[in-house]
Amino acid sequence: MDRRSFLKTAAGTGVLAASGGLAMPALSQGAAAKTLRFVPQANLANFDPIWGTQYVVRNAAALVWDTLYGIDSKFQPQRQMVEGEEVSSDGLTWTFKLRPGLKFHDGTPVLAKDVVQSLKRWQARDPMGLMIKAIENELSAVDDRTWTWKLKQPFPKMLLALAKNNAPCSFIMPERIAKTDPFTQITEYVGSGPMKFARNEWVPGAKAVFEKFADYVPRSEKADWLAGGKNILVDRVEWVIIPDAATAAAALQSGEVDWWETPLSDLVPVLKGHKDINVDIGDPLGNIGAFRMNHLHPPFNNLKVRQAVLTAMNQEDFMRAIVGDDDKLWKPLPGFFTPGTPLYTEAGGDMLKMKNIAAAKKLIAESGYNGEPVICVVAQDMSATKAMGDVTAELLKSIGLKVDFVATDWGTVGARRAQKTPPSQGGWSMFHTWHAGADCLNPSSYTAIRANGDKAWFGWPDVPAVETEVTNWFNAKDMAEEKAAMDRLNKAAVENVVYAPTGFYLGYQAWRKNVTGVTSGPLPFFWGVSKA
Amino acid sequence: MLAFIVRRIISTIPVMAFVALFVFSLLYIAPGDPAAVIAGDQASPADVERIRQSLGLDRPYLVRFGEWFFRVLQGDLGTSIFTSLPVTQLIGQRIEPTLSLMVLTLILAVSIAVPLGVIAAWKAGTWVDRAVVGFAVFGFSVPVFVIGYLLAYIFALKLDWLPVQGYTPISQGIWPWFKNLILPAITLGTVYIALIARITRATMLEVLQQDYVRTAQAKGVNSRDVLFLHSLKNAAVPVVTIIGIGVALLIGGAVVTESVFAIPGLGRLTLDAILRRDYPVIQGVVLIFSFVYVLVNLAVDLIYTLVDPRIRY
Repeated sequence: MDRRSFLKTAAGTGVLAASGGLAMPALSQGAAAKTLRFVPQANLANFDPIWGTQYVVRNAAALVWDTLYGIDSKFQPQRQMVEGEEVSSDGLTWTFKLRPGLKFHDGTPVLAKDVVQSLKRWQARDPMGLMIKAIENELSAVDDRTWTWKLKQPFPKMLLALAKNNAPCSFIMPERIAKTDPFTQITEYVGSGPMKFARNEWVPGAKAVFEKFADYVPRSEKADWLAGGKNILVDRVEWVIIPDAATAAAALQSGEVDWWETPLSDLVPVLKGHKDINVDIGDPLGNIGAFRMNHLHPPFNNLKVRQAVLTAMNQEDFMRAIVGDDDKLWKPLPGFFTPGTPLYTEAGGDMLKMKNIAAAKKLIAESGYNGEPVICVVAQDMSATKAMGDVTAELLKSIGLKVDFVATDWGTVGARRAQKTPPSQGGWSMFHTWHAGADCLNPSSYTAIRANGDKAWFGWPDVPAVETEVTNWFNAKDMAEEKAAMDRLNKAAVENVVYAPTGFYLGYQAWRKNVTGVTSGPLPFFWGVSKA
Repeated sequence: MLAFIVRRIISTIPVMAFVALFVFSLLYIAPGDPAAVIAGDQASPADVERIRQSLGLDRPYLVRFGEWFFRVLQGDLGTSIFTSLPVTQLIGQRIEPTLSLMVLTLILAVSIAVPLGVIAAWKAGTWVDRAVVGFAVFGFSVPVFVIGYLLAYIFALKLDWLPVQGYTPISQGIWPWFKNLILPAITLGTVYIALIARITRATMLEVLQQDYVRTAQAKGVNSRDVLFLHSLKNAAVPVVTIIGIGVALLIGGAVVTESVFAIPGLGRLTLDAILRRDYPVIQGVVLIFSFVYVLVNLAVDLIYTLVDPRIRY
């Protein structure tokens, strides 16, 4: 019996005990009445949402810092801290006004100068922020509640940039904190969001505590993802870091925790069978599995070799390796964008549907491949990358590529993938990763789809046709133009194999039935969640 | 004796210096990049490089080692790359759970393993002896996490007697503290009990063959006194040695046990730091563990003088 099977059995036996009527432990039941205990996807090791762009930091930051606009479940930017905005007829000057009565957790009012400084810090780290900075004339406060953004050319996606939920989000901090260099971590965690961060209770790797901010002024609209009224219905939210999945499952079954963000798919049947636990899809935008090929060096600097890999691959193999036999959790993805979203397209995605080993072998023969080993770097400490890596190795061998499988950890992959040296000199040929579906709705924050050579993400694809369509999407005046640009972009990205999408997959979340108001979304939303 | 203790404490300085150099060098040559972890998956290579520069990770090895070592000499273990908190503060937050776990495990293990080993030797060849040897084989063979899950299932989920995970500081009461720690202590202690019981049994078997034991028995001294007053004291040196060596086993086992039971101790701090490449934290924790181990060895040497009057320093 391997460790994974044992976990499943151990947790599985737990449900039998639970069905027999396990009582909640006496441990802190009284104190827990207004405290929601949540097991996040990862440890909150740092807490600067601009400096560190991990999703777990973004998720915690959304409690503490508010944004000017918030994205809703229809992917539309809605006003959040902002009362209103005006854009000049030439599209070059944006004027924004804050809602009255907004306060930071230290009691000081939120002013336009805080917003300006926060936006400057955000701009330095965010792809859309950098685009705005490149065309910026001036960003300045007009009065305490008003500021203007003067541009050299129109930027139609301004509100999307300020509302987007991709890290880094444009969180608003007090001016003195926002003056911190964007590449240096802040040390004061003061926001104007619905909850305060209890820094004195923070034990990185173990616990993070958030307390309800009494002076928060929620909007009157109904909460919808990051938009609307963020009404907090508990006094405290405690993030309990439980690194072991079987332990987290047992803690949820015994009532020691209330909500688990990302249950291991192996353990979901156990949780579904428990009378006191609800299980549902966590993030409907899911994830896109991926492996990136190094466009700088042989063999993947050869387009035909890259196309051969795409021609041969069967996404079902990858997805079943990640999520198992639950067919509700995955979809084939003949393209690069998140299924079920307004701009999703399969245009030009035929190569990803072929699953044709013979055709792939023919392409390899035509490519002139002369036996260079493929340095396939695979992180073994991430279940998704490990699963995909094993499938990829077999895929490459099946079409006649020589594979040098490098089993390592995610920290090493993170360093090695930045090496541009040839694979034989410490570089790499391919690595596996995944992209949150929320990042892949459109090109705005989709770093992985960019193909601007040296400036592109790891693998450094250089495909002018892709870049042209990215620009066209940014400049699109209406939805029809956006969709047309996306179709052409998807086609160019597939034909040139910017990277290899291995499919689209979802994950579950689980919570106890005495907790209500849990919704599906790209991050866990704590507003509207209450505990009996 | 005092001079010996002072000499031994002074002799730890070059040992600690070597450990410091070794750990720093090991981390320097190990693959991985904290800047890439901090920047996140979507960060550009340029952003990663800027973060690396801001952390000073692009500077030469000797400069970095020199700065770090100088700070360590002043009692400053540096600042965590990720949390921006002082390493001493992080260790301070985590030391109580780990110390509690290790001390409870030690007490539990010694109080169970030594009598087991003595009884097994006394009843050598009987079913009692075979049961103890069988338990020792079991303790060595079953991975710590398997024992942990099994205990959690039975005592936390099935019987609902104890919590599944977490830690309650001793300041909040002995009973809550004990309730959180007893399962981890049994989990961690199983292999330790097996080790001590086997060594105790083997040493006692040897001692029980000695002439003075036969003489004592011939004089009519009762079995309990023969075993625990005459024999055990003479078998104590190897047993004490193995208890001391076993502390290293406890330190290693604490990493797994703390992960299984979600105890916020030094073991988990170390593991998290290694996975993220939080170099100052790894260096700090390893130094602390090394220091503890050196002190444990000193304590073992001092205990020798109590159990064997022939040993003098």
